[in-house]
Amino acid sequence: MAQREGDRFVVRLQSDPLSVDEAYKVVQPGNVGAISLFVGTTRRFTEGRGETVQLEYDCYPEMALEEMVRLCESTIDAHGAERLFIVHRTGLVAVGEASVIVATSSAHRDQSLTACRHLIDTLKQTVPIWKKEIYSDGATDWVQGGEPETKLR
Amino acid sequence: MFGAFDDKHFDRAEIKVSSTIHVFSVLAERIGRREIEVDTTMPIPAGELLDILACQYEAVNDLRRVVRLAVNHAYADEDLLVNEGDELALITPTSGG
Repeated sequence: MAQREGDRFVVRLQSDPLSVDEAYKVVQPGNVGAISLFVGTTRRFTEGRGETVQLEYDCYPEMALEEMVRLCESTIDAHGAERLFIVHRTGLVAVGEASVIVATSSAHRDQSLTACRHLIDTLKQTVPIWKKEIYSDGATDWVQGGEPETKLR
Repeated sequence: MFGAFDDKHFDRAEIKVSSTIHVFSVLAERIGRREIEVDTTMPIPAGELLDILACQYEAVNDLRRVVRLAVNHAYADEDLLVNEGDELALITPTSGG
């Protein structure tokens, strides 16, 4: 597990299963009016591809943590959320398990919902983490920006 | 009297430096390693370094259009100058989440 913290955020990479309860507690300082949670889970079927049995996540841990810190800082500046939490799995993740949780809190729902959406959308684009689809027939595909790697060549 | 100095001893552009570059996901799998080496002059623009790596590694060449260089844990524009001692990595389009 690797983690970085600021006054109002926690970001983490971990190989163990994720806990929604823990995410809720991290962003609940006791005085907010809204908490938003996004949970990304491993999908069994993706359009035009085979049946996925598990995912393998590779990452560049030092930069991934720094990118997530920068993302939290810019999200606090832009959307005024109270507390933020991002945790992402690394290594093998079975179908149906959570691979990422993003949690945000704020005085009113608008800030936490907007911040939550912004965090997960930007994380996918900028944080150096990659997923490999492992299919039921044994084939594998590194996904690169939403596309199988072979489509980008 | 300054002519007594040999310029070449002070011209860093003449010196080739060996650098290690971290690679991940599809690049690591295709190359078969998580670090690659390159000898170049330093400093060098990020884009030129990527072009050199594309010449040396087919996997990098295949993704040259979309691969980015990270310098000291941050994305580098292609005209950013890379210096000796910088931590370098190749970042292909990410797919976290």
